[in-house]
Amino acid sequence: MNNSFTNNIVEILPRVEGFAYPNEATVHPLWSVLIVVYPYVTGLVAGAFIMASLVRVFNVRALEPVYRLSLLTSLAFLLCAPMPLLLHLGHPERCFEIMMTPHLSSPMAMFGFVYAWYLLAVLLLELWFDYRADFVEWSQSQTGLRGVIYRAFTLGVHDVSEPVLRLDARMGRIISIVGIPSAFLLHGYVGFIFGSIKANPWWGNVLMPIIFIFSAIVSGMALCVFVYMFLSWARRAPASIDCLDTMGKFLFFALVIDAAIESLDWIHRLYSADESIHILKSLAAGRLFYTLLVGQAFFGTLVPLLLLGAVQLFRTRITVSARHWIYFVGSVLILAGVLSMRWNVVIGGQLFSKSLRGFMDYKLEFAGHEGWLLSVALLGLPFVILGVFIKLFLPATRSHSNEPATPIRPATGASAV
Amino acid sequence: MVIVTLYLTARYFLTPQSFGLYGWYRAVALDEIAARPTTYAGQKACDECHSEVVQRLAKYEHKTVSCESCHGTGQAHADNPDAPVTKLTYSHCVRCHEADPARPTWLKQVKSKEHYTGQRCTECHIPHQPNEVP
Amino acid sequence: MKKPLGRRSLLRTLSGALAGALTLSVSRKAKAALQKILVASHTPKGYDPTKHKWLMAIDVGRCIGCGLCVEACKTENAVPIGPSYFRTWIERYIITRPEAGSGEMRGETIVDSPNGGMQGFPAGLVPKEQILKSFYVPKLCNLCEHSPCAQVCPVGATFDTPDGAVLVDPKYCIGCGFCIQACPYGCRFMNPLTKTAEKCSLCYHRITRGLKPACVEVCPTEARVFGDLKNPVPNDPIHRFIEKNKAAQSLKPHLGTAPRVLYAELDKEVR
Repeated sequence: MNNSFTNNIVEILPRVEGFAYPNEATVHPLWSVLIVVYPYVTGLVAGAFIMASLVRVFNVRALEPVYRLSLLTSLAFLLCAPMPLLLHLGHPERCFEIMMTPHLSSPMAMFGFVYAWYLLAVLLLELWFDYRADFVEWSQSQTGLRGVIYRAFTLGVHDVSEPVLRLDARMGRIISIVGIPSAFLLHGYVGFIFGSIKANPWWGNVLMPIIFIFSAIVSGMALCVFVYMFLSWARRAPASIDCLDTMGKFLFFALVIDAAIESLDWIHRLYSADESIHILKSLAAGRLFYTLLVGQAFFGTLVPLLLLGAVQLFRTRITVSARHWIYFVGSVLILAGVLSMRWNVVIGGQLFSKSLRGFMDYKLEFAGHEGWLLSVALLGLPFVILGVFIKLFLPATRSHSNEPATPIRPATGASAV
Repeated sequence: MVIVTLYLTARYFLTPQSFGLYGWYRAVALDEIAARPTTYAGQKACDECHSEVVQRLAKYEHKTVSCESCHGTGQAHADNPDAPVTKLTYSHCVRCHEADPARPTWLKQVKSKEHYTGQRCTECHIPHQPNEVP
Repeated sequence: MKKPLGRRSLLRTLSGALAGALTLSVSRKAKAALQKILVASHTPKGYDPTKHKWLMAIDVGRCIGCGLCVEACKTENAVPIGPSYFRTWIERYIITRPEAGSGEMRGETIVDSPNGGMQGFPAGLVPKEQILKSFYVPKLCNLCEHSPCAQVCPVGATFDTPDGAVLVDPKYCIGCGFCIQACPYGCRFMNPLTKTAEKCSLCYHRITRGLKPACVEVCPTEARVFGDLKNPVPNDPIHRFIEKNKAAQSLKPHLGTAPRVLYAELDKEVR
């Protein structure tokens, strides 16, 4: 590369308020909207899995109707999780290096292994054990392409005798138990990527992994509520209000913990008031005002807390249809709030200079590599995949009868262990 | 087990040679980075042909200034003496000597707008012997 | 679980045999590869990275903000021209006088670095009478002993060399940008052409040939001092610097990165 070539780069002078190190004053932050999408998606994966494990591990029977739905949601989002990362890399063709020579002191080097573990050892296995009996049944009853698909998924194991089914159920439960710490690991490590950066006072924080885990649980549960209600509406079948009430209850408790930890973070920052507090305060009041205070704190946390809290207090006095609406609005608000939380963390950390003397500007593009169109597409893709999964693996007749989702597994399975 | 075997096989073929000789990186990267050509030749290269100028310069105030500070990149000229070095202009002097409150006071500074405007610096000053003329 | 036990045990035997065959050839090939490296991997002219320890020191009181170092660095290392790609740059600090009767020791601190200081600095930002103190600070990679950038690189594309430089392997960098986020000093940037991280290499191609880094070479006032701690020569500038500036500081010491770039006469406002 020679200088005559490098001279040809046309630079738009980025706008800086105050002083930033020259290398920081780029037009786009280095980690832009794609990196906002990535922790959001993995958070949804972890949260939806926790929702499913409430049924398996903690025997919350009211949540039966959403057990498979939340596992499938988790899988659909997990399949899309590496995409924003790959698209953001300067050299995506070298991504295999992260598996071949993982630098053990780097939290990012964990990604390949955590991802592979979660996909292969947790989600796919749990789904397979859960669905095995159904695959066998469907492969016999269905013909054509569907039949071929189901037959392939049985992996050649057609035994549906009682002891084998009991073994399936036990394996499912064991995997669920292993899956909970795995889900915490999957998202806690994403939080650690940010929390471990001591250079950036907005990120470098021990609470960061915990905040990420709880916001993940909250967002994943909200997603399950949303998907369940949407699916019921699309299938013109009534959503079970028992199930919704239980989801609402868990969502409320998770949200309380999440809000408490995030407030603790702020209280600690304000009270200990180290050298970075001035710039962080003006960041929150200025460039992040709409996404942090309005979006994340007010509409994303406070309003859902009040809505869901009201249901907890006055459940009997609120009509069923009103509760439906509250859950729907609450879950949508939480989903948007957690998305803005990811935005605030990722983009917010790059809006101020590490010299703590100034702010950089960020204007979101429409199209292009760093544009929001691509990110919206990446957020939409898991829903498309989920649609295919639901079509294939969640027949309408079963998931909406009030009796448990599968005739074989739940009663015998859960009690057998 | 199959997965682990596959992983180890892939790892064997995809890990670059020389990885881990000094640490967790490709040791040959050191050679590759060191193999880059230079554009500044260094004072020693200048001294090979222009030693009398270098020695004279060392007696005066500008002794800390290296040849390439003012004359620009010299590797091309060192490789081929016919290649010209940068032609100097007035801006080279004021680049360092323009009055500026952020510059340390030991440095001789002038306000170019007030200091003999319209004349070239070299009409009074000899850059290689700066103390000679007022 | 999978029922046909015969199939599974067959599989196990097969994969065991495969693994055995592989490890045999692996060990043989690995040995050959290692030998090849040990013979072939020597930097130009027999430079041995384990026999040197380079250090850069900055005398803030001698920097005149001419910007020659920034220009030389961009030329020497083909750093992209542009206001946000610098391996080294100069910052100007202007500390104003406090308002009369305010009870403050100092006024505001104004910092700027237009285009990294490559074309010098605009005059008259603050009238001379209002300036309490003003000075230039050259910045570059701080050569941290505990470099946060090398720590977070997921693939080992950036690393501390045995001779004290922190380098980026442009053929191995995946361009994730984690190191750029982890550098507390803003010394790294993403090269827009190669899409890899880039930083001061201490002019590794020059120091391995016995030359000074380009910025040190062109610095007219010896504000930048460079030397080898393991091989002191008589009247070595780096040892003179250390002897003369026993109170030399480093930047952001509270982060525990232990920078090896020393700054003499550093003001507390510099970070």
